[in-house]
Amino acid sequence: MSASLEAYLARLYLDADARRAFSADPRGAAMRAGLDDMDAEAVAHIDRAGLELTARSLQARRKDRRGREAGWWMRLRRWLRR
Amino acid sequence: MHARDRVGLGWRPELAAGILGHRDRIDLVEVIADDHLGAGRRELRALNTLARQVPVVLHGLSLGLASAAPVSDRRLEALARVVGAVEPEAWSEHLAFVRGGGREIGHLAAPPRRAVTLDGLSRNVARARAIVGSLPALENVATLIDPPGSDRDEPRWLADVVAATEAPLLLDLHNLHVNALNFGFDARAALAHLPLARVRLVHLAGGSWIATTAGARRHLDDHRHDVPAPVFALLSDLAARASQPLDVILERDGNYPPMARLLTELDHARRALALGRAQRAA
Repeated sequence: MSASLEAYLARLYLDADARRAFSADPRGAAMRAGLDDMDAEAVAHIDRAGLELTARSLQARRKDRRGREAGWWMRLRRWLRR
Repeated sequence: MHARDRVGLGWRPELAAGILGHRDRIDLVEVIADDHLGAGRRELRALNTLARQVPVVLHGLSLGLASAAPVSDRRLEALARVVGAVEPEAWSEHLAFVRGGGREIGHLAAPPRRAVTLDGLSRNVARARAIVGSLPALENVATLIDPPGSDRDEPRWLADVVAATEAPLLLDLHNLHVNALNFGFDARAALAHLPLARVRLVHLAGGSWIATTAGARRHLDDHRHDVPAPVFALLSDLAARASQPLDVILERDGNYPPMARLLTELDHARRALALGRAQRAA
């Protein structure tokens, strides 16, 4: 069932609504996401500080990447590849 | 296998001129493979020319090998095309998952350290070896969150990884340092329990502290700061414990200092290696 756990972690890292639902009912939200008992129990005890900072760090990286893709170097590369 | 320790730098567009202007102080460079997956023949020829002037290793970011899900053949074939064209000395990837349930995470996520992940990793590494033509060096990742569902610590996980995959290790000493800070273990003691005979490549980097709204702190491996002293101490420890030559790469991904400061960090790495080798010889 590890693919389900990875999928749910990806959702928690990326989706603020999923994190809110999880905070309200950790074990229930994990079970509804298809995790088995053992993984739901593990996720219910997730490191909350780490979750908040992981989500924030990923959001900052996405913003940074969008900025880089609009930058002169990436525009030059796209032009050279034409 | 080369006969001596080498110290080099991650190839970035912002550093390219500085690297080419100081070839006498840079033994090798590490090129991000993902930056060239869609490259045309001209771009790949340029990278091959670079690889003929300075030893090159290719570094992958987005395969997601440490996953219960299979890596797509399409991604592996794109990487194989770059490896085939550039002819690097080695290539590497992370012990991370980068997507799940159809979502691209956008960065490296530490996987649950457990048997089912190890099974998926072994299948993915075998597939990568078959398609790319060689084994990747596998890199330990930094994480802000202790992956839920883990049933073993990081030294045991890395020992299990090399046993299951036969792959060499890319040991990121800053990632080890960061995880030690974030989860309260002793990095130098952990290093002593790693499968150090399998380390081929080494990463050095710097990072910074970040905090939650409630004030809990974690160290972020952001590659935007100088390498801290404890990471150089880990490099000395590694050089004292491992007998094989090491390729050490300094990673910098922003907040770029003058080239002279990066060269000073490379010199610091050489001194740390020499100190460890001297301890080993004593």
